[in-house]
Amino acid sequence: MEIQLRTSGSVTILDLSGNLTIGRSEENLRETVKRLIDEERRFLLLNLSEVPTIDSSGIGAMIKSFTSVKEANGKLKILKPSRMARQLLSITGLLSVLETYDDETSAVSSF
Amino acid sequence: MQKPARLKIVNRFGVMRSLPLGKPVFTIGRKAENDLQLLSDSVSRQHAEIVYEDDAYYLVDIGSKRGTFVNDQQIARCALQHLDRIRIGGDEDQQIIFLDDTIERASAIFDSSPRLTLTPQQAERVTSANEELQKLARFIEVNQAFKFSLTPDDVLCLIVDAAIEITQAERGFLMLRNLAGDLEFKVARDDGRSWLEGADFAMSRSVVEEAFKQNRSVIINDSREAASGIARESVRSLDLRSIACVPLRLFQMTENMDATTVLKRDAIGVLYVDSHVIGGTITETSIRLLESLAFEATKSLENVRLMHEEREKKQIEQELGVARQVQVALSPTAFKVPDYFEVAAHNIPSRYVGGDFYDFISLRDERSAFALGDVSGKGVAAALLAAMAQGALQAQFTSNLPLAEVVTSLNKVLVQRSASNRFITLFCATLDPDGHFTYINAGHNPPVLARANGETETLTTKSVLLGAFDFVEYKPRQTRLAPGDVVVMYTDGVTEAVDADNQMFGDERLEKLVREGVHLGAEEIKQWIMDEVLNFTAGLPQGDDITMIVLKMRQR
Repeated sequence: MEIQLRTSGSVTILDLSGNLTIGRSEENLRETVKRLIDEERRFLLLNLSEVPTIDSSGIGAMIKSFTSVKEANGKLKILKPSRMARQLLSITGLLSVLETYDDETSAVSSF
Repeated sequence: MQKPARLKIVNRFGVMRSLPLGKPVFTIGRKAENDLQLLSDSVSRQHAEIVYEDDAYYLVDIGSKRGTFVNDQQIARCALQHLDRIRIGGDEDQQIIFLDDTIERASAIFDSSPRLTLTPQQAERVTSANEELQKLARFIEVNQAFKFSLTPDDVLCLIVDAAIEITQAERGFLMLRNLAGDLEFKVARDDGRSWLEGADFAMSRSVVEEAFKQNRSVIINDSREAASGIARESVRSLDLRSIACVPLRLFQMTENMDATTVLKRDAIGVLYVDSHVIGGTITETSIRLLESLAFEATKSLENVRLMHEEREKKQIEQELGVARQVQVALSPTAFKVPDYFEVAAHNIPSRYVGGDFYDFISLRDERSAFALGDVSGKGVAAALLAAMAQGALQAQFTSNLPLAEVVTSLNKVLVQRSASNRFITLFCATLDPDGHFTYINAGHNPPVLARANGETETLTTKSVLLGAFDFVEYKPRQTRLAPGDVVVMYTDGVTEAVDADNQMFGDERLEKLVREGVHLGAEEIKQWIMDEVLNFTAGLPQGDDITMIVLKMRQR
């Protein structure tokens, strides 16, 4: 999985592409988020539009990232999850904790 | 104190072992419990005994099928004399000799063994053709030995003895690479089939290095004349005339359409023989045989390694089996079902232990609690977390805490205690005799509620899974179950069960089954759904545990 970074105002958008599953990809996400927090970039938007599959390790990485950002007084939100990802976020109840948007402009302005 | 005596056992390939007769009754038979175990089919499980009475050893047949023989005479009971030959049933592969240690050892007995004809000293040079033939015969004999269940050390010993014979060398060594990557002596033999003593030996290190590092056979004949630079100095100082060293390699076979390709791999050790004798030249044929021998050796070592791995795997499976028993013991077999509902549950673990768990708990005033959970991940770690969660739920429910508090505090414990990547999805509910059903769905697949009239709904509270965030307050929802209503709780192993085309069983199929089966009893509904799932998967191994609870309100 690849992660491209871009900024929109104070918000850093992480464009993920590829599956967010056990191994490199979930480590990659956790490490990237940790690095961003160290750089004091604490408003993060995870763009999941190019992530077809997420497994329980991927969920774990998202939870971990959310918690680290929250502890740094930041915010982590979700943008455009695929149908399957949204279903998973819905069943696991993560939609009740992770704010999720389908539109980038409103997502960015919500921070 | 017993008179010292031994059994010398020589198998048909000349590998010897010695067993002291140190006990009043020494047992012989095919079963592993025997002091001497013989694996031949013609040996009975409990075949014979050697008993010590009145300062003498007696061989006693204990009702064997194929008889016991001393010096080829069948016996029922017989006093053993020094050098008596014992035969157990029709087992001709082992020569067993009774040795009375108080009489001077007559080691010559082994030279008289008809199987051991090929010592180099005896090998008269009749014709070279005959010799090559003998070498081949020896080689074939060793090949057969690999089919017998020998220990790795036996095999290595045999290989070196055969290598010495094939090349008519004086000494032979087998060295294997240890974990540090250095070569270690495993076998050091002379041409009289005896072990050479010592931890290190004067040998041509440079030849060994060359064969091992370059992964190729090295042959030096009459080395004083050898023009080759390899090893000249060390060879000279040792005055060795003939040296052969072949690498031992692990081969990887790849089956093609019609050919088997053998890929050359790194050397794992070397087989080395040498000789001082002038003119003891190593021929092309013997080198080819030596290389074949090295190939057989590594193959059989690999087999032995695989056998050990298989044994270890069995042990792990056994341990998982024990864990599984513990898990089954935690499942609610002793739950006394009140008369206002019926319940049926089923669990098929994907491995021996899984991360699914379920429980029914009796509360005060005929109320009951239900829990169905799924720990992320598989195996013993997941099962332990499942057992812990189940225990915590039981303890809190029985101390009459309300549902919301039970789940909220379990979540806090899990966030603090469990590894960062382990979560539990949980559906947890309480039921009152009047049908009052209170539930929390923490990230779990929503159970299907089918009303007696065939309408269905799913039970969710949109609460997040357990073990993720410590700040979450879990809030219950309520519904009322009427007589005839059915609730089917399940884990994703049910809806994500796959068929041969990798299609999932799916929520809709499950919901339809529940709707159509609502008039059946809880046990029948459970069985029906399970049958449908198993039909769907057609026996394909499933990646996840399959767990289900069916609850049905009785007519009152």
